[in-house]
Amino acid sequence: MLNTYILLFYEYFKVGLFTIGGGYASLPFLYHMAENYDWFTIDELTQMIAVSGITPGPIGLNMATFAGFKATGILGSLTTTFALVLPMLLITTQVFRFYLKFSESKCTKSILYVLRPTSCALISSVGLRLFYNLVLENDITLKHIDISALILFVVLFLMTFKCSRNPVIYMFVAGIIGVIVKFC
Amino acid sequence: MKVSFFSILNVFFKIGAYLLGGGYVIIPIMQDEIVQKRKWLTSDEVCDYYCVSQCLSGIIAINMSILVGYKLLKLKGAIAAILGMALSPFITIIIIANMLNQILHIPFIDSVFWGVNISVIVLIYLAVKEMWEKSIVDKFSAFWFLLILVLSVLKINPITLILVSIALGTIFFLRDRKNA
Repeated sequence: MLNTYILLFYEYFKVGLFTIGGGYASLPFLYHMAENYDWFTIDELTQMIAVSGITPGPIGLNMATFAGFKATGILGSLTTTFALVLPMLLITTQVFRFYLKFSESKCTKSILYVLRPTSCALISSVGLRLFYNLVLENDITLKHIDISALILFVVLFLMTFKCSRNPVIYMFVAGIIGVIVKFC
Repeated sequence: MKVSFFSILNVFFKIGAYLLGGGYVIIPIMQDEIVQKRKWLTSDEVCDYYCVSQCLSGIIAINMSILVGYKLLKLKGAIAAILGMALSPFITIIIIANMLNQILHIPFIDSVFWGVNISVIVLIYLAVKEMWEKSIVDKFSAFWFLLILVLSVLKINPITLILVSIALGTIFFLRDRKNA
């Protein structure tokens, strides 16, 4: 039993250490686990991905909690969560101390000068991709455009000019409109 | 509000609970909770921390929480931030883990998340707008933004794009130093 916890810790420490760029980047590691251990099956993994996307919190963290729970219950969840964040805590705090020391240096400034538009563009491309999936229904010729999605998008977009910047309001309004449009 | 272990824990618990639809939403949420309401950090710092976070291994939202926590209260703050972030996903997942099959097929839940997913596009727009003012400062940065956007839409690996950007920034630094 103790062995399982050590393995869970080991596997998730690796995920925390080698995942770069968001939760979905940890998927290859999870498939590897599904194939090599009896913690969860590929089918369960698919469900885990779906649920992790719709529950609060970063997707990678949700999937880790889930996988640990499937493997050995609550203690397993604690093990995987701890193992996942430990490398980040170690690396990020060290890098940050370095960053604070050199944040006024010319080198950091010129790197950030290039990196800022890069970040901005990478996030924009995620937005475009979501718009393409959800509103245009993956068809660039606009033949399958989802009219109700487009209207909801426009309403929320117009809200950004008038409303507070509290993001929760947008999610809340969108959830309610979702229920009215799709459920009622 | 005074910055203490528990105030950080409390704020990050809220941020974790609001974080729906992927880590990108963390920028507008942090702008609201940490910059506007509590004035713990400036808007510029949040944008720069995001840039640094995505270069590090691990999950962007977690790295960003560690950076903010560490800035506020050193290691204690970083630990408080992680605990806060992990708490609500932890509770939610443990409650629903055993009811997975049922939950995935409830039309009501489906319709809520149809709406929420569309709001994520608007939240990403807010994040981009916030970063835009700080990042697109001249002709080169506008050009670089467009170039990376096109490459990223063409599915070039983001890690490659980030590494190239860091390299280019270093080249700029070396060039300026040589000229100076």
